[in-house]
Amino acid sequence: MTNWRPRSDEDFSAEVNAHLELETARLVEEGMAPEAARAAARKAFGNVARAQERFHESTRWVWVEQFLQDLRYAARGLRKSPSFVATAVLTLGVALGLLTVAFTVFNAYVLRPFAVHDPSRLYRLGWQSPDAAGRIFAWREYDELQSRTDLFDAVVAHDMRFIHSESAGGRSLTATYVSANYFQALRPRLLMGRGLGPADAGQPVAVISEQAWRRMLDADPAALGRTIDFDGSPVTIVGVLRQEFVGIDDFPRDIWVPARPEAAEGTEVVTRLRADVTPERVEAMLASFVARKAPPKVSPKDVRAMLVPNATANALSTDLLAALSPIFAAFALVLVTACFNLSNVMLARAVARQREIAVRLSLGASRPRIVRQLLTEGLLIAALGGAAAVLLAAFLMPAGIALLFRTLPPSLAALVRVVPMPIDYRVVGFAFAGVAAATIAFALVPALQASRPSLTDVLHGQRAGTRSASRMRSFLVVAQVAVSMLLVVTALVLARNFAAVGAIDLGYRTSGVYSVNVRGGHDELIRTAADALSADSRVAEIAVTSGNPLFVTHTLAAAPDGTDRGEVPVRYSFVSPEYFTVLQIPVREGRAFDAKEAATSARVAVISEATARAFWPGANPIGQTIRIAQPTNSRMDEIEGYTRVTVVGTVRDVVTGMMVNGPDRGHIYFPASAVHRRASALLLRPQATGDFRPDMAFATLRRAGLDPAIFEVFPMGEMRDAQMYPLKAGAWIGGLLGGVALALSVTGLYGVLAYMLTQRTREIGIRMALGATARGIIDLVVRQCLRLAGVGAIAGLVAAAVAMRALSSVITLEAVSLLDLTPFAAALVVVFSAVALAAYQPARRATRVDPAETLRADA
Amino acid sequence: MQGTLDVLILRTLIFGPEHGQGIARAIQQSSDDELLVEHGALYPALQRLEAQKLISAKWGTSANNRKARYYTLTKAGREHLAKQSNRWRRLAAAMARVLGPEPEQG
Repeated sequence: MTNWRPRSDEDFSAEVNAHLELETARLVEEGMAPEAARAAARKAFGNVARAQERFHESTRWVWVEQFLQDLRYAARGLRKSPSFVATAVLTLGVALGLLTVAFTVFNAYVLRPFAVHDPSRLYRLGWQSPDAAGRIFAWREYDELQSRTDLFDAVVAHDMRFIHSESAGGRSLTATYVSANYFQALRPRLLMGRGLGPADAGQPVAVISEQAWRRMLDADPAALGRTIDFDGSPVTIVGVLRQEFVGIDDFPRDIWVPARPEAAEGTEVVTRLRADVTPERVEAMLASFVARKAPPKVSPKDVRAMLVPNATANALSTDLLAALSPIFAAFALVLVTACFNLSNVMLARAVARQREIAVRLSLGASRPRIVRQLLTEGLLIAALGGAAAVLLAAFLMPAGIALLFRTLPPSLAALVRVVPMPIDYRVVGFAFAGVAAATIAFALVPALQASRPSLTDVLHGQRAGTRSASRMRSFLVVAQVAVSMLLVVTALVLARNFAAVGAIDLGYRTSGVYSVNVRGGHDELIRTAADALSADSRVAEIAVTSGNPLFVTHTLAAAPDGTDRGEVPVRYSFVSPEYFTVLQIPVREGRAFDAKEAATSARVAVISEATARAFWPGANPIGQTIRIAQPTNSRMDEIEGYTRVTVVGTVRDVVTGMMVNGPDRGHIYFPASAVHRRASALLLRPQATGDFRPDMAFATLRRAGLDPAIFEVFPMGEMRDAQMYPLKAGAWIGGLLGGVALALSVTGLYGVLAYMLTQRTREIGIRMALGATARGIIDLVVRQCLRLAGVGAIAGLVAAAVAMRALSSVITLEAVSLLDLTPFAAALVVVFSAVALAAYQPARRATRVDPAETLRADA
Repeated sequence: MQGTLDVLILRTLIFGPEHGQGIARAIQQSSDDELLVEHGALYPALQRLEAQKLISAKWGTSANNRKARYYTLTKAGREHLAKQSNRWRRLAAAMARVLGPEPEQG
């Protein structure tokens, strides 16, 4: 007999037979008659069947057999009630499917290792000082790092840029400039061709992603050797990567080209640690290396090297989990509602099957065996639900991604990329862990409840145990209502937030204004671009600024001059006089800049009303002087040559940067022209009559001899929408979860009421016979219903208040408050309307009970 | 008593491989039918010892040319028996002291 396979029953029987024969032979030898000897041998052996049974049960596989038996039994039982199975599988499939979708995204961005060789020892290098952090290194620093073979097996540089490609229909591509060893160190798999190597340095060659290959080259099987436009010059494709590899961070790339170490910009650095080196040791040894990264006012020894695991797009950390836990909790709560719902249905089923269970108990089945059997039934449903969930997730993922790109503002959609999000083994494993948890959650209580009937009562036709079962059912309904209340409140708070932020008055115009930005390091071209665009007849007005107000904020330290008040951080911008007219920011007092002040960078300032109020409360700010001080931390800028400026005017308060942070507490504007060194963006207002489009701006820039690839032209309105998008998406997802949970609770409540009424048919019949009106009966149902829903709603409101309090300490939305009564009140209305809907039909049915019939049935 | 039968089986197998029926007979004879009432009760113990790798089993042919499953003491079984025998002897001695001399048969 081999060790890994248990002995068969047949083998054991053979041994028993051999024993009996040997014993018989022996007895015959001792002088017994063969027949008597056979009987004596059997007698001496004892119960043969029992020995065989004991053997059978001693083998480890008996539980499998029992499980299969239970499974067959459960399948037979479920086949008899297909509508129950369909509802249960659908309920669980939807709830678990939503959670699986959330997990699939999490998996893609956090758990799934990059499709590269040995991702586990990849670490991204960064630095951190008390008030700043970064991950960019100069190329000569990269060279230095590469020589540290005592620490690293490989040091890879990869630097991302948006580039412009005519081959992509004039849209942007995400490009990575990679070090010569990138492909050799990471070994991503290619669909065709080869990766880049040392021989490609300085050559116009590129490797493209599978997606780019499909989009730009229509999946041409002969793509190798074709050339595509890369920022205005042709590059030859030498390789196409497989779908699963899109780079080694969380922003997928379209195209890989050899690095240009001569370029001024630095690069990100990813290292592969030697097997005998720990990350802690490397961090310590790199301290001196990153010390030179110290920002002003920070001692070099306060700069710490950071090694961040780079096996996945985002490293798994407790901080990340804490940040994501509210989202996961919301998805999980929907599953919880589904489990409550199913548990309720299972309880009803169990009560209905009490006779069957009692018969099985009386025939000698043990209680654990019955519980196991009922759990198996739950498991079967859950497994079907799990399969439905995975299918649903597989369908929802591409649909959700398509929806994302449809709803994003178009100029943002052209830039955004998502990492591959496959339904891989982790996702399936997660779904089935969910199945196991759900089975316990929804099937255990009903199983324990059902296997506890008093035999005599049940066999006599009494419904024993229904009291505690119905209490349990009521509890489940209350819990469902509470959870959906929590989710509905959350959804309404999110929706209200979105509406409130959308209604924020920025204080300036965004529609009909285009923002023209120059990509990294080419600010000197702003002037040429400004000249070219102002000469364009379709452009009405053009303003120069040190940054687009929706995204760029700068802060300095300022105080009213001539006082002993300390400096406070104030936002500032360098703007041309046209800035206030293009954005329609009204001047309140004094005046805006004139052209001369702009041309000479005069030491004058226009300040926001809030600044004026803060610096000179109740006094006239015009003519006053502002003192500009040295910055006290790295979040503030030092502006060389500016120490004192005279206020010439005040303008209306505006919201810059993130809208949710509310209006600026202060803002100082300095005059500038397109030649000013801080000029980095243009704001453009087209003629009202012409139909201006961004590509017209590109054509104008090209005519002026500028490379359009280094410019970005965005409609300001879309930039505003882009900021709003996360809030909008949050409101949608919240609404979806709240809606599903509410629908589940309504069906749950409906089920309980309907069941309760069938249980109380007799009572209702007697009441009606004694003269109760239909109205009275409806009151009875409604009271029952309100009691359940009321308790649930109160519990849900309390939970929601606690949750919102906790959330508002994490998410700081200064513009709106998470603790606002309106959504709570609205949620109460929504939930109670849904409850009324659930109660209507059962109540109507109750009034149609025929007293004569019920009383006769009882007799 | 748990373990008694195990020790008896192992002890029987000291003299060489034996099949179930042979072991049952040997135990009955050496213990005057006190410790093994039914032959069938032997098999769960054999099962257990085999699982613990204290004995190994193989089908073979008996002296009178019948097929039988023969059990052999393994090295681990031999060591186990040595340990257990000592324990039983000590226990038996202790029990004898506690219970005192056998009362005279009237």
